[in-house]
Amino acid sequence: MERFKAAFINEIEKMYKRKKAVVIIVISLITIIFGQLVVIGIRSGLGVRGASSTEFPLLVLSVFANTILPLFTALVTIDTFSGEFSHNTMKIALTKPVSRIKLYSAKIAAIAFFALSNLLVVMVLSVLTGFLFNTASFTGVGLLRIVVSYLVTLVPILVLAVIITFFSNVLKSSGAVFFLTILLFISLKALGFIFPRYSSLFITSMIDWYNLWIASSIPLMKLLRQLFIMLGYGIMFFTAGFYLFDKKDL
Amino acid sequence: MEKVLEIKNLTKTYKNGRGIWDINLDINRGDIFGFLGPNGAGKTTAMKIMTGLMKADSGDVIIFGHSISNDFEKAMDKVGCIIETAESYPYLTAYENLRQFSRYYRDVDGRRIDEVLELTGIYKFKNEKVKNFSLGMKQRLGIAAAILSRPELIILDEPLNGLDVEGMVEVRKLIKRMAEEEKTTFFISSHLIHDIELTCNRVGIIFGGRILNVDYTENILNNYASLENYFISEVDRNGKV
Repeated sequence: MERFKAAFINEIEKMYKRKKAVVIIVISLITIIFGQLVVIGIRSGLGVRGASSTEFPLLVLSVFANTILPLFTALVTIDTFSGEFSHNTMKIALTKPVSRIKLYSAKIAAIAFFALSNLLVVMVLSVLTGFLFNTASFTGVGLLRIVVSYLVTLVPILVLAVIITFFSNVLKSSGAVFFLTILLFISLKALGFIFPRYSSLFITSMIDWYNLWIASSIPLMKLLRQLFIMLGYGIMFFTAGFYLFDKKDL
Repeated sequence: MEKVLEIKNLTKTYKNGRGIWDINLDINRGDIFGFLGPNGAGKTTAMKIMTGLMKADSGDVIIFGHSISNDFEKAMDKVGCIIETAESYPYLTAYENLRQFSRYYRDVDGRRIDEVLELTGIYKFKNEKVKNFSLGMKQRLGIAAAILSRPELIILDEPLNGLDVEGMVEVRKLIKRMAEEEKTTFFISSHLIHDIELTCNRVGIIFGGRILNVDYTENILNNYASLENYFISEVDRNGKV
């Protein structure tokens, strides 16, 4: 556990020092401010209500979780695996007394930490802006719904990261992995629209599963089914990715 | 004599037909072992397998009694190494790089990091990002990383690459001092015969993926004018030149 912890701290430090993660969080914040300005514009220009203080963070989440967050998570995941392989820096950690399974898990844990931080920062800022611009409609239950929605969104994003990790261990080039990820994301989204009956099988459709958690009566069976499908994807791709990572000759 | 490193029937064949075959070696505590061979002889392949970067087709490497393939963490616990090139994270400073490595060991603190930076002559660049370092400075940082945890076995692949004459002399002195005072065992590969002759007390010759001979430097120099003559004669005797 001590060595897993060392590897985890190292990964977080590298993410932070590479500055990309910081830039990503700044971009996320700019997006929220832009979103709020659009809502205000709609309200004052068209006389439409736009979004209340507790609806605004959920509106932000629905856009953020389907666009910027998966994109940034993909970038960080590719940097953590393909980037290190192509810059030949992967061998630094691989020649230290830490097993490959611990290193692999620590890297994925660091990506999860990044995604969670990104979600929390966006949540706090969107709640604050929502509150500032519309104090009247703020409620405790509304806040709880927001917190739950943001937290559970981590699950599909993490599964997506594990799938990208698998590709990062199959393909050598970071560019190729990025291209494949974008292609896969768009294709699955499109398939979800074309075949709505099967959409619950696609990971991209599960990004919005927070809606199940905040529905007036929670559809427990549907929620459990989606959770198990995601777990299934996660376990399969984690194992396949590790198999390749472990076998890799540097 | 205590065996620190045992290489048993190590074989690895690449798709292009090159590789190493049936490598057997025993390295004892306090040895400064020179692994000598021309480019492409299989030195780096053997060293990559020894440090877990590559998997062998057959055979095993035992370090301090632990198999590298089955008990990696324990085998590598007291090992420091540079394989192929001294890599470091370019976006971190020299100090931050070493602090990253230090987290895997219990007794390496900030003072030890300063000490190895001092020993390798890059202390004054401690807070500079590695991306601004010259090849020689990166090599010195690699050596600092390899000795950071006070390892009992140090595996160095072409450690003098990119170093100036002053750097070469300093590193050679450092290796000899560590072997004498701390009983550190070294496994050094090089294609520079003169350097191996000056640094190592035991020499193994690898050619075409196979070990030709292993002997003490002293014995070799008693029978041959120089290590170079011995190398040529060994290779010749095996009908490879």
